[in-house]
This record gives sequence, C-alpha cells and structure tokens, in this order.
Amino acid sequence: MRPLVVLVVGLALPGLLPALAAAGWSAVVVFLAPVTGALMAAVAVAIELGLGGSLVPDYLAVAATVNIAVIAWWVTAPRVGGARPRNAPAPPTLGAWAWSVLGVAVVAACLAAVPLRSLRVALLTGDGNPIWLTHALLVYGGHHEMLTSLQNPAYVISNPDYPPLVSAATALAFKFYGLGNLHLSVQMTVLVTACALGVVAMGIVAVSDVAAAGSGACWPARVVAVAAAGVIGVVGFAVSGGFAIEGYADLVWAAFAVGAVLWGLVLPRSPRALAVAWICAAAASLTKNEGLTTALIILAAIALRYRPLSLPGPKARLWAERAVFVLVPALPGLAYAGIIRLIGVHDAFFNAGSPESRLTRAGATVAGMAKYLHVAGPLALGVLLVGCWFLRADRQRAGLANPAWLWICCLGSLAIIFCTYVFGDLEIHGWLANSVNRTTIFAQLLLYTEVAIWAVMAARGVFSRAPAEPPPVSEPLPEVLDDPRPASPALPSRLSAARDAARPSR
Amino acid sequence: MSGRSERAGKRIACAAIVAAAAVGLGLSVHHDVQLTDYVTAPKFAAGANLQLRQAECVFDAIRQNVPEGATVYIANHGQPLDHMVEWSTPWAVPETDIADAQYRLTLAPAHGHRLFPFPLTKAAPDPAKGLCAGLTVEVSRL
Repeated sequence: MRPLVVLVVGLALPGLLPALAAAGWSAVVVFLAPVTGALMAAVAVAIELGLGGSLVPDYLAVAATVNIAVIAWWVTAPRVGGARPRNAPAPPTLGAWAWSVLGVAVVAACLAAVPLRSLRVALLTGDGNPIWLTHALLVYGGHHEMLTSLQNPAYVISNPDYPPLVSAATALAFKFYGLGNLHLSVQMTVLVTACALGVVAMGIVAVSDVAAAGSGACWPARVVAVAAAGVIGVVGFAVSGGFAIEGYADLVWAAFAVGAVLWGLVLPRSPRALAVAWICAAAASLTKNEGLTTALIILAAIALRYRPLSLPGPKARLWAERAVFVLVPALPGLAYAGIIRLIGVHDAFFNAGSPESRLTRAGATVAGMAKYLHVAGPLALGVLLVGCWFLRADRQRAGLANPAWLWICCLGSLAIIFCTYVFGDLEIHGWLANSVNRTTIFAQLLLYTEVAIWAVMAARGVFSRAPAEPPPVSEPLPEVLDDPRPASPALPSRLSAARDAARPSR
Repeated sequence: MSGRSERAGKRIACAAIVAAAAVGLGLSVHHDVQLTDYVTAPKFAAGANLQLRQAECVFDAIRQNVPEGATVYIANHGQPLDHMVEWSTPWAVPETDIADAQYRLTLAPAHGHRLFPFPLTKAAPDPAKGLCAGLTVEVSRL
C-alpha cells in the first residue's frame, strides 16, 4: 500500500497536469502521470547533484515550474492558436473512450494479477542492492552525500555513472516513510516499470483506435486489442525473468524506450503522440546508460519521421529543427551524463584494453544475444513479412508508420550493445553471462510489441465482414506541428481534401 | 486471382498473424505466471522475507554501533563488501584505505558457516549487539 501512496501522491499528482497537457483527455494519462512525475524527480536529482540542495525541495521546485508552465500554456494557447489545427485528429468518440477506459482496467488487472503479486515477497538481490538501493540512499542523503560518494572509489562497485530516475523514485519513497523498509526500493521500481508498460499497452489500444477510425469499430477486433494491451505488460516482466521483480532497472528503461517507439514511430503523427514519445524517451535516457543511447536513436528516428528528408524548404532550418527534435527531449539525460563526467566519474567498461581478440568477443556476443532473441526475433520477422504482404494498405490507411522505423530502433539499439561488448574491456564470457539477458530486454519487448501491433491490425481483417477499402492515393498530410510547409488555413475542407489526394505519395 | 480468393487469402493471413501472436505472447505470459507462482510460494517467500529482515538488521546495526558521518573500512572482500558499502550508506563514509578510516567493520558468519551466501539462522535479530540471524557485525575503533 505504501509504494502505491508514493506513486499516486508523490509521482502521479505532480505529473498529472503535464501528462494531461501532453496526452490530452486520454486514458493513457493514468499511466503517463506517474512516469512524468518520475521524470521530474530524476531532473530534480540532476539539480541536486549539479547545483545543490536535496531531493524534496528540488523536486517541488521542478514540479512547480513545470506545472506553472503548463497552466500558463493552457491559459495562453487559445489566444495564440485559435481554432483546432489543420489536420488535427478528431476528438475520440464515446466508443473509443469506453474501449480506452476498459484498456486501462484490463492492463492494470493483468499487471496486478501476475507480476505485481511478487511485491508481497521481499525480493532484493543482485543490482537491486549495490546499485539501485545504494543510489537511492545517496540521493536521500542530499547534495554533499551524493557528490562525495559518487566520487568515492569505495562506491565504484555501484556503477556511480548510472542515471537517477529509479533511485529518485525510491528516494522519494524513503522521504515519505523513512528507511525502515528497504524493500520499498524494489516496490517503487516495479510500480514505475508497470506504469511504463501501461503507456506501451495504451499505445496498442491507440493502434486499435486509429485502425477502427477508417472503417468503423469492429468489437471483436477491439477485444483483441485490449487483450493484447493487457498481455504486453505481463510479457515485459516475462522477458525480464526475475530481474524486473528484484529491483533491476533494465525493464524500466526498456519499457520507456518501447513506449517512445510506439508513440513516436508507430502511431500516426500528432503533437500528442510526439509529446508522449518525448516523455518516454527522456525517461529512458535518465534510467540507464543503455537507455540514453537507445533514446538518442529513437529521437533521431522521430526527428526524421516528423521532418522527412524529402521536405522542401531551407535545408539549414530543417536540420536545425531536426536537431531540436533530438536535443530537447534528450537534454535531461545528456545533462546528467555531462554532470557525471564533470565530477570525474566514468563508466567501468572502457578503461583498459581487453586481452581477447575482437573476433572472439564478437562471436561470443552474437551467440549470447541470439540465445535471448531466438523466439521473439523469428516470430516478429515472420509476422512482419506476412503483415507487410497482406496488411500494408490497411496500415497505411490507418496512418501508422512504416514498420521499418521500429526495426531500425531495435537493430540500432542491438548494434550499440554489440559494440559495447566487443570494444569493452571486461572478460567477455563472464560479462555476457551476467548481463546479456538484461541488455536484450528492450529488443525482445519491442519485437513482442511489433507482434501485438500486427495482431491488432490483423484482427480487423479476421473479424471484418465488408471487403477492405482500397488503399488511399496518398498518405494524409502531417499535422500542423509536424509540417513546416506553409499552411493555408482558409482553404475549404473539400479543397484541402482534394489537394491531399493529388499529392504524390512518399 | 479473383477478388474473392484474394479476400480469403487475406483473411487466412490475418488469422495466422493473430494465432502466431496469441501463441507467442501466450507462452510469455505462461512463463511469467510460472515465475510469479514460484516466487510467491510460501516457502520461497518466507526465505526471502527472512533474508530482507537480516539485511535490515545489519543496516540498523551499523547505525547503532557507528557514529553518524564516521569513516569506516570494510574488512570483507567480494560480495559482502558490496553489501556493507550499501548498508553503510548514507550513515557512514566507506574508505578503501584503512589508514583513512576511523572504524573497521567486519561481517562475520555464525560459527560453522561460510560468510557467503549469507547464513540464515533462527536466532532473533539484535541490531544493538550486531547480531543478525547468522551474521555478526563487528565494529572496532582504529
């Protein structure tokens, strides 16, 4: 009960307005609000380490600043923006709302029925102890404690360069209830993980919304979508084995990153999907070092999707905009990494050369990774091929992105992890044995999410009675936020539709 | 190929995708259900809860036997060292050089036991005396 209170009062409440501003009146806010709160707490830890103070005042300052900014934006936005933007998605129908609410209930019930049951057992082992609990205690101790301890060689075993999101949430729980129950650290980590997976699950429900929007809702297909959403949270914990319930942070960053891919690189382009993706990517970048590198790949892909290379206009300006798309959400993660380097803390993986040849390391790494991707990889690839063959037009009609974006992120993340193993200096077999099961969690979860997305699309094909509509002549215009071309707001909607139809498909 | 057979082919492909997803995702869920059942089994849960209580006892013992802010040298090596650093945080300041430390902390196993994995006995924890159900926290002034 205690961690739930911290989650709701300490994280969800301060994160509610920013989450509403990002996602609108959408059911995903239930899971996004605690994620946003955790992100703000992590930013507060960066301030605590870089500038001073302690967690609670710094967190209050960050939360107050963000909430005031959101209120100011809400007050001023109607005057600046006027009417609903061109090409903005229609407000969700009552039916879509009801399915979303049902989705939240099913996702929460599935998580509570399976993985969250383990919270009754006081599991606190492995990295949960010397890394994440220790970091939380350092954050709890305040600026001086954190700064001097991270620089203290006695703490080198705790990977002092790791980012602070998980430890921020735990330290906040310790501020609420004191240090009497160390298992609170695992409980907070698992609950934040569950919320991150909830954002992923609601993305799958949103896929069903956009798929249904074109040709009317088909309730068995909706049931499949809600079931897939409920299942994906449990799948996240399943691919992580015992690590996710023992206080490790690997599933946390992986779930954030998958959320960023789903909202930013799968769902149709919209300011809200972009905002949710940015929050998820920023949270991933502040959770683990692998999260930061993967978030940068995802953000670069989002920048290229929202600002395609084929766009006409001044090149320098477009590249500047793409850079902003990457740097703004990555700023907290990059800033924390910068602070860590400034205080003289470095990672423990690239200090000295390895006696093993690169070829030996590469072979061992491929074998190690394959062991954990041999189910999800072929399954997702098979589903992708069949889906692309039969459902490409349905996917385009729904406005979903090309699946290549998701696969680029998956392969990009695996490539970075592969290079870390090959060019790192720890003994490769021991290193792989201790970590490859965790470093591949993101890829596994992303591939299972890809399978779930195709299943949602395919369910419409199975249960629909009418023949499928012909594919559209062109992709719909991106929304006002993601289209820098000069808009013509006065254009009547029929003319606008005709112009859209005449535009050659990209 | 006629439109009707195309539609039939598409419907079969869609059913195949849904079935493959159901099997793949279902197997994962089954795996997690098994894992959760395993860790929540009464015997496993009781052992894990006792281990946590032992850890919290050592955590408290350090706070009750070492002054706040004191520098400490942890005499154990390997995994016990990791845990002692963690349990000292943020109460005491661990030092890697004994010359810089005011106190020496040693984690000793109960008689006849190895130190790691930590032995767990049925003795009642007494953090004030450094006695933690199979582990003893020994504190000496340097």
